[in-house]
Amino acid sequence: MKRVSFSRATWLVAQKDLQLEWRTFDALAASVVFSIVVLLVFQFAVGGGPARQLSADALVPGVLWLAISFSAVVGIARSMDVERHGDTLAGLFRAPIDRSAIYAGKLIANGIRLALLEVVLVPLAMVFFNADLGGAWLELILVLAICSFGLSALGTLFGAIVSRVGRGEALLSTLLLPASTPLLLAGVSATGALFRGQSLTSVSRWLGLAAGFGLLYFFLALATFEYVLEE
Amino acid sequence: MQRIVSRLDALLLILTIGAIPTALWAAFLYAPTEQTMGAVQRIFYFHVPFAVMAYFSVVVLLGSSIVYLSKRNLAWDDLSRAATEVCLLFCTLVLITGPIWAKPAWGTWWTWEARLISTLVLEILLIAALMVRRYADNRDLGARLAAVIGITIAADVYVVHKAVEWWRGMHPEVFKAGNPRSLEPRMTAALLICMGAMFLLCTLLIRLRYRMGRIETRGEALRLENLD
Repeated sequence: MKRVSFSRATWLVAQKDLQLEWRTFDALAASVVFSIVVLLVFQFAVGGGPARQLSADALVPGVLWLAISFSAVVGIARSMDVERHGDTLAGLFRAPIDRSAIYAGKLIANGIRLALLEVVLVPLAMVFFNADLGGAWLELILVLAICSFGLSALGTLFGAIVSRVGRGEALLSTLLLPASTPLLLAGVSATGALFRGQSLTSVSRWLGLAAGFGLLYFFLALATFEYVLEE
Repeated sequence: MQRIVSRLDALLLILTIGAIPTALWAAFLYAPTEQTMGAVQRIFYFHVPFAVMAYFSVVVLLGSSIVYLSKRNLAWDDLSRAATEVCLLFCTLVLITGPIWAKPAWGTWWTWEARLISTLVLEILLIAALMVRRYADNRDLGARLAAVIGITIAADVYVVHKAVEWWRGMHPEVFKAGNPRSLEPRMTAALLICMGAMFLLCTLLIRLRYRMGRIETRGEALRLENLD
């Protein structure tokens, strides 16, 4: 049998995941609805008293990253659940492709899912909490992209691990959220600076940290993913 | 038939039994009382070695995880499991002794500061690694997944610490180069004695847990052989 190239295999895996998502909206719907629930509960939890004294630019970055990280857990767990129920990861493992291409493909699919979630979530959070970005949309997109890449890189690896032992969101959040502390701190700090009207250069080291952390985990996962899938 | 306790273990055990009282003596009697913090500062002679041993176990965990993935010998997995559990023990001790010191010294049990957060993150990730091991259907799968998590934990701890340090810092820097408030010689000696004692204890615990793991692994192999 002809062996498929790495990039083609990556694309095929990503395409398969995205096609499945397009037909069912399973993981995306679950995580988007969940993220709105997080905004709602956050408003109940702190919105009544103390948060009224806080300005929107102090509140929104925190709320935003809280919602993004928890919804990412839900989305990744859902997408891995599908593979587990059909026992399709084993099929993917037997396919004549590079195992790390499976990781890369799933990473692309998870990244696109997370981006779509943010397209809905970010404007909603700004409307709900009355925040003003002052036109720094491109900068915000850059911050979201860098941190979401890291979150997806880590989440795809841990999601596969959790799906192998058949546990859902609880174990995934126990692994993913503490491990992605640097990403969340970078995300909150950089987003906060943008909402305060500061330029991106003031938070460049946070972005560097988030990008470096994401790349570190990306290569680590490429190297170890085959051990996760192995029968 | 291999002996359950080897000569090296017996030697380690005797040394540790001698070292622990020496460490207690050094920390409570030999070292002078610190001027501003008073007696509570003495917990430092245990707190710091606990933390160093936790990091030492992380290094053992990283090494054994990598070797297991390349060699696929379950002995390395036994070592990595031993390191995970001992690391969890020392990490927990750090998290217990830290607040006891922090309450009188900082006036608060807990603060969200770099080393505190990175130790807590390490603790949670170690628990998660043990959970994954427990949930896995079979030993090989659990060993492989735990090895992957072990490598990511080791990579994570350093970056987490750096990140939170940027975010905010408060932890006392004891070993900063050129620190004008460097330790009194007797304090340094007491710290080194405690460090040595904890190193012996840590090595002994990892070795004993490793040997226990070897016996469990062999027992399981025999059981499976009998089933066939």
